[in-house]
Amino acid sequence: MIDADLIARVLSRHDQHAFAELVRRYQSPVRAFLARMTRGDTHLADDLAQETFLKAWRKLHTYRGGAQFSTWLFGIAVNEFRSVARQRKELALEDMDAGEVEAPEPVGNLAGGLRLDLTEALDGLHSLERAAVVLCCQNGLTHEEAAQVLECPLGTVKTHVVRGKEKLRRRLAEYQGHETT
Amino acid sequence: MKQPEENDPIDVLLHEQNAYVNDDGFTARVVAALPRRRQSLRSAALLGLLVVGFAVTLLWLPWANLPPFDPVAMAMLNTQVLVPWIAVLTIVASLVWATVAAVESED
Repeated sequence: MIDADLIARVLSRHDQHAFAELVRRYQSPVRAFLARMTRGDTHLADDLAQETFLKAWRKLHTYRGGAQFSTWLFGIAVNEFRSVARQRKELALEDMDAGEVEAPEPVGNLAGGLRLDLTEALDGLHSLERAAVVLCCQNGLTHEEAAQVLECPLGTVKTHVVRGKEKLRRRLAEYQGHETT
Repeated sequence: MKQPEENDPIDVLLHEQNAYVNDDGFTARVVAALPRRRQSLRSAALLGLLVVGFAVTLLWLPWANLPPFDPVAMAMLNTQVLVPWIAVLTIVASLVWATVAAVESED
């Protein structure tokens, strides 16, 4: 059954089985995205993901179907993250102009390989850059969809993606430099 | 949705690390936390409809013209007794069935 049919069943009959199927389909990208945004705090990410889906249940009648359902969900997830980030300064999303976030020190033993390197490098990005990079490069959203999710201009998203990827490239090169020395 | 740029190693690396997160009971926790307010409201509405349905049936059916309930005549397939009572039972059974089906569809 396609998303639109499931959504129609939820709206017309408050069908919890249909909603559960939607949660099953999208829990992985939403939880993974929020885990990235919370810099690996999976408990907080899961709490935010749960609140995201509960809000989606309450606000489903406002979903117009113009955007993909996943895009709409990511939008709610970003807002949930924003509300927590307001209380936790280290997670703040609007920290783009506050200067460069200090990149984590490369760990001595890089046995985890490139996967660990990339995770650390992502953690070093500003929240908006990280969000833009993860949405566009990891979840396959277009720049337009990411702009809709992050509620910022298209040009800003493109800048975040380019700048974020450039920082990742630089940091991975640094890590690899440490590894070879 | 778009595919990762094949020639950009960062894109490829990010896409590769997009691992599936196992559900591990997450969906069940979300469903358990969903509000259930509408169920009792709807059940009450359905019960009200059933009462109204029965009331209309009581008023609408020509009870004065109905033959007396006679099980012996029914057993002998006396159509003058049997047919009106089958009609009454069908109407009442339909009301009950519709209400039960509607309540069950809530789950």
